[in-house]
Amino acid sequence: MAKIIGIDLGTTNSCVAVMEGGSPKVIHSAEGRNVIPSVVDPIKRIVGDVAKRQMVMHPKSTVFSIKRLMGRKYTDKSVQYDIKWLPYTIKSGRDSMAVVEIDGKMFTPQEISAMILQKIKADAEAYLGEKVTEAVITVPAYFDDSQRQATKQAGEIAGLTVKRILNEPTAAALAYGLDKKHTHTVAVYDLGGGTFDISVLELGEGVYEVKATNGDTHLGGDDFDKAILDYFAEEFKKEHSVDLRKDSQALQRLRDAAEKAKIELSTSLEAEINLPFVTQGKEGPLHLVMKLTRAKLESLVGDLIKKTIDPVAACLKDAKVTKDKIDEIVLVGGMTRMPKVIEIVKEFFGKEPNKSVNPDEVVAVGAAVQAGVLTGEVKDVVLLDVTPLTLGVETLGSVATPLITRNTTVPTSKSEIFSTAADNQTSVEINVLQGERPMAADNKSLGRFILDGIPPASRGVPQVEVMFDIDANGILNVHAKDKATGRSQSIKITGSTGLSKDEVEKMTKEAEAHAADDTAKKEKIETRNKADNMIYVAEKSLKDAGDKVAADIKKEVEEKISALKSILDSGTKEDLESKTKDLSDSLQKIGQAMYQEQQPPPTNDIGTKTDKENGEKKDKTKKDDIQEGEVVS
Amino acid sequence: MTKKLNDEDIEKIKQESDGWKAKYLRALADYQNLEKRVGEQKQEFVRYAAEKLIYELLTVLDTLEKAQEHLNDPGLTLGIKNFKVILEANGLKKIEVLGKKFDPLEMECIEVVGESKKDEVIEELRSGYKLGDKVIRVAQVKVGEKSNIN
Repeated sequence: MAKIIGIDLGTTNSCVAVMEGGSPKVIHSAEGRNVIPSVVDPIKRIVGDVAKRQMVMHPKSTVFSIKRLMGRKYTDKSVQYDIKWLPYTIKSGRDSMAVVEIDGKMFTPQEISAMILQKIKADAEAYLGEKVTEAVITVPAYFDDSQRQATKQAGEIAGLTVKRILNEPTAAALAYGLDKKHTHTVAVYDLGGGTFDISVLELGEGVYEVKATNGDTHLGGDDFDKAILDYFAEEFKKEHSVDLRKDSQALQRLRDAAEKAKIELSTSLEAEINLPFVTQGKEGPLHLVMKLTRAKLESLVGDLIKKTIDPVAACLKDAKVTKDKIDEIVLVGGMTRMPKVIEIVKEFFGKEPNKSVNPDEVVAVGAAVQAGVLTGEVKDVVLLDVTPLTLGVETLGSVATPLITRNTTVPTSKSEIFSTAADNQTSVEINVLQGERPMAADNKSLGRFILDGIPPASRGVPQVEVMFDIDANGILNVHAKDKATGRSQSIKITGSTGLSKDEVEKMTKEAEAHAADDTAKKEKIETRNKADNMIYVAEKSLKDAGDKVAADIKKEVEEKISALKSILDSGTKEDLESKTKDLSDSLQKIGQAMYQEQQPPPTNDIGTKTDKENGEKKDKTKKDDIQEGEVVS
Repeated sequence: MTKKLNDEDIEKIKQESDGWKAKYLRALADYQNLEKRVGEQKQEFVRYAAEKLIYELLTVLDTLEKAQEHLNDPGLTLGIKNFKVILEANGLKKIEVLGKKFDPLEMECIEVVGESKKDEVIEELRSGYKLGDKVIRVAQVKVGEKSNIN
């Protein structure tokens, strides 16, 4: 079953993805990156990062931004504009189409793009371990027939049958599954490395149709980097009267630092740029140490971001829709990670944009989804559900103990051993809970049942195995079994995943809102449980030791037991903790006293008592391991 | 009549089972590929686990070496030497570039300068390094331009 790959053949960078196990996956290049720079040396046939590294040496034979020439006539206005700044030679070729001339040889944009596609094909084959012969390739929505045809030819030259030419904004919408949600009107805001595109899509007959597009073909991340770089260089010049842009090494370091700072400021509010020995001054080496705040960055690039708004307004006008008619906004391109960009888009549309899919990859991901539809993989895929909320049981002190955590893919099963909370307890109640809150009462009870017939024993001794099993249809089976007798009980709960989206959201939000309170409450109960257990251990130790304990120690322990007991339900967490510790300290004296009593005769016979001591300790650790089930009655 | 219906039923069931079989095979293939890949990634990970840290330490090494150019302090020389010994013991190798022909797999050209052999590296601006056989940072270099000097 051959795979069809999805390719985002970009102006600055290209990206490739494929459907795997029913979901799209981005394929990393041989260099280990998720994108490949769209840079080619057609003479040496090198592509990507490797070609980019020799751009300075061979500016005339290293081709970038070839997408700007795809399927265009030499006389096109845009070609005439680009000729002025592109360092390689552009000539008029057959049918007066724009071609690139290197060392007297002519290369069509198709041939050059094909080299990028060949590299992508090779990377995809290495990843998949099989031949790749078919692809879906994306193009900007404004590409005309000739440009689309040229893209298709590029694929063919690279040995790929192009199954579909897909519009980039449509791919972005597919990546978010908006077609499945029947979202009617979508705006796609794409701010990439060198171009800005805005498109309005409308869903009709299950297919997205591009209603209007607009943009700025020469506005992108590179302009942002330059603004930051110029700021650093100017500041440095003010201070040291040295222009770093004139020193190639310093310029390179500054360029890297500017990009790093820009990326860092998407997640933090301040970035420090630290370039020791950046250049040589009159009185020795100079260092660049500067801070850039997010606010400063935003003021540096504010105008660039604002430049995107006019095309957006024009695009809506062309599409004859108003802002409030836009159902979803999708962000594409690395620059849309910048918080200010998100803010301005949100402000304009009055709506939160979709940004969860990596904006560098979203178009390739959408192309892969389209490829999956073509192979039938998307339709055919067995959609495995996930449990939307955590499932668990109620344990001592009304605590909710999770067994299957939320977002676990079903079918799945999980079991855990629980025990009793009181001596001679012969039955346990299993209360099946759903929800994210730590306290049982705050979660939804899906059902409860009782397992009885447990042979009387000390608390913590019986072992009750509780198993949760969710099948592919979301039906939950809860099974409880006493390991000693083999007695078991079970309950079947249908619709454990059948909550509406709103309900799930509500429950998840509640859990977030109460997180701090809930944790405190749970901790208190856990402390209480520990205290309770300590009382039990102490009382048992006193009983077991009998009159072997000195009367004063016995009295001390008894006093501390009653002190702890008296505050068991009323005391604060801190009180409980300190009193539990007190009791634990005193309790150790029993052991010590008994041990000393045995010490005097210096024989090798230290058998029985120490064994008992050890035995006691083992019991204790075991008890700690076992979680206690809820007491019935 | 009944027989015909049965045939139809069988055909229907057969189609359904074929469908499931196809889905099963697809899932199995994806799973096997994933297993293979996870195995490879694990090996890769073990081999290059230190890569990220070493990569970040390289900027510190750059600074120390730059400082040394200016200060020429014997103590610092020793410090840099110790630092390098540790990095080399962990598989780091410097890429030798001076006087070599430019190779874009290992180097990045920052500037071309005249009056020297074409494509020959005449100055190293930032050292490049390999970890094992993998280039973790390319060298940044100045390259000669004139082709008539030999």
